Amino acid sequence: MPPKPCSPACANASPARPDAMDFLITTLLNALTLISILMLVGLGLAISFGLMNVTNLAHGEFVTVGAFAVYFVQSMGGSFWLGLAAAPIAGAVVGCILEFAIIRHLYSRPVSTVLATWGVSLILQQGLELTFGLGAKPVTPPIEGTLDLIFTVYPAYRLILIGIAMLTLLGVILLISRTSFGLDIRTVIQNREMAEGVGINTRRTYAIAFTFGAAIAGLAGGLVAPLAIVLPQMGVNYLANAFFVVIVGGVGSIGGLVAGSVFVGGLTSILNYQISPSLAQAIVLLAAIVAVRLRPNGLFNGASR
Amino acid sequence: MITRDRNWLLIFAVCVALAGVYPLFADGHQLTVIRDALIFGLFAASLDFFWGRTGILCFGHAAFFGIGGYIMALVTLNDAIPFGSLLGIIGAVAGAAFVAAIIGYFLFFGGIRGSYFTIVTLAMGVICQQAAVSWSSVTGGDSGLIGIPPIEFDVGGTHVDLSQDLPSYIFVAAIVSVVVLALWSISRGRWGTVLTAIQDNEIRAAALGHNAPLRLLVTFTLSAAIAGLAGALYVCMAGLVAPDLSGLLLSTEVIVWVAVGGRGTLLGPVLGAIFIQRAQQTISSFNPSLWPLLLGCVFVIIVFVLPDGILSIYARLKSLFKSRRRAQ
Repeated sequence: MPPKPCSPACANASPARPDAMDFLITTLLNALTLISILMLVGLGLAISFGLMNVTNLAHGEFVTVGAFAVYFVQSMGGSFWLGLAAAPIAGAVVGCILEFAIIRHLYSRPVSTVLATWGVSLILQQGLELTFGLGAKPVTPPIEGTLDLIFTVYPAYRLILIGIAMLTLLGVILLISRTSFGLDIRTVIQNREMAEGVGINTRRTYAIAFTFGAAIAGLAGGLVAPLAIVLPQMGVNYLANAFFVVIVGGVGSIGGLVAGSVFVGGLTSILNYQISPSLAQAIVLLAAIVAVRLRPNGLFNGASR
Repeated sequence: MITRDRNWLLIFAVCVALAGVYPLFADGHQLTVIRDALIFGLFAASLDFFWGRTGILCFGHAAFFGIGGYIMALVTLNDAIPFGSLLGIIGAVAGAAFVAAIIGYFLFFGGIRGSYFTIVTLAMGVICQQAAVSWSSVTGGDSGLIGIPPIEFDVGGTHVDLSQDLPSYIFVAAIVSVVVLALWSISRGRWGTVLTAIQDNEIRAAALGHNAPLRLLVTFTLSAAIAGLAGALYVCMAGLVAPDLSGLLLSTEVIVWVAVGGRGTLLGPVLGAIFIQRAQQTISSFNPSLWPLLLGCVFVIIVFVLPDGILSIYARLKSLFKSRRRAQ
């Protein structure tokens, strides 16, 4: 499960500090890193899967494209920050093309959407492999070294990652609750026919929302690139986990997204210390299935539907 | 409806007859190729039995294929277990059915349908493959397990040994025919009718007194059991088992076989599996990484051009000619 957790040992804990506290804070920050990434990837899925009812299995490829955008910019001599700016643009371009060419024709055929987007996912993976070649791509973080917090030292880049993710989420909340486009989106979600009736172009709103979700996923890919193994096939792990975030958290609210991310990301990070990552992944899946059985509408949405 | 049944049986009989006379014209290698393709055809039929009848897509069906394969391998490779082949097959079928029953219980009774089910089964496939890779003390890790003996057992005093090409081909062809025929009679009978009712409108079917989640659960479990059987047969014929057998790529390939062959026909997916594997071998001999690319294109093409499978070309041409004639 990428990104790999940063163990207390690798963070060079000094012996003077209490070990238990060090361990706790490091685990918490590792969990927060994973939760931030899951929130960004899950945001796009919450829009497409949760609100538009489109099962987009190519969503993981937006993450991959974002990571490859950073790699490409760096390999051309550009800085990481330039690459990070290119990542959401790359995600948005791919998302926009996908929406325009495939998804908008299949709104009424859910199973066909699953098949077609999976086909696109395979095409993108192989396309990246044919273009960039086999093997993992190196991406260097913009800042090496660690930052001294009071109880532990932690890699500086991961703290920046958490910060950028939180700011992005805040921006999205403001966009949805304060702007006129956010109002359009909320209207279309609540009642599509009525939204059309009051003169909102629902097709255009869907397209923009989908592209927006793809851009955020691309940004997540760019952020995670220095920590993860950048491969054409890296998307599928994020895809499965992000779907669980949306399913467990329930659709329709930012709160559900956060709750789902904390559930999946937190559980994965805690288990990763005790057992092998694959087993941890299996347990998270089972826990998610049980959670869905007990609370079909999501952890956060008590009885709203 | 009755003519449709008769047509199906007619095509089925032709296929069985073709499979029966094929050994007269084929050498040993060609026989093994078709035999392996038939096993995958059985796997495709198992997915079609669930997907075609309920309309719910399982995106991790290879997990059951892999579970069956690994159980078969572990049982037959253990010298302490007597009647290894027979017990292995039983264990493989039971193991796959057990896992499907557990997962299916939580999903179907939890009200999970449609896309949600697809996603959960997709994750299940990912996890099965990861488990097969990382649990290396049992599964052999990335390289899998090798040296799995061919099936042999005693029935009614005669010793059946499937290490040769011809007996193993006949055995597999017989099993595939019997299972496909059995699945077809189940799905055209009352059971299948109720499943169709549930697919059309689950609430209405439930109001008529049908226990929809239970029906779906039993269908899913049966489908998984047959996938497990196919997995068990495959590892004995191939002599090895590897994590790929439970992987996402095989899960998606089987969907293509069913979609190309025609969902809900049971026979179409078997033929789809045979023909697409043939194409895959030809294409992969040029460039191995070309196949997933083409597979992706096939997915997109199926959705937009052939939503009802290859067999629908015939029906479309027929209606095209009819309308032409009418126009003249």
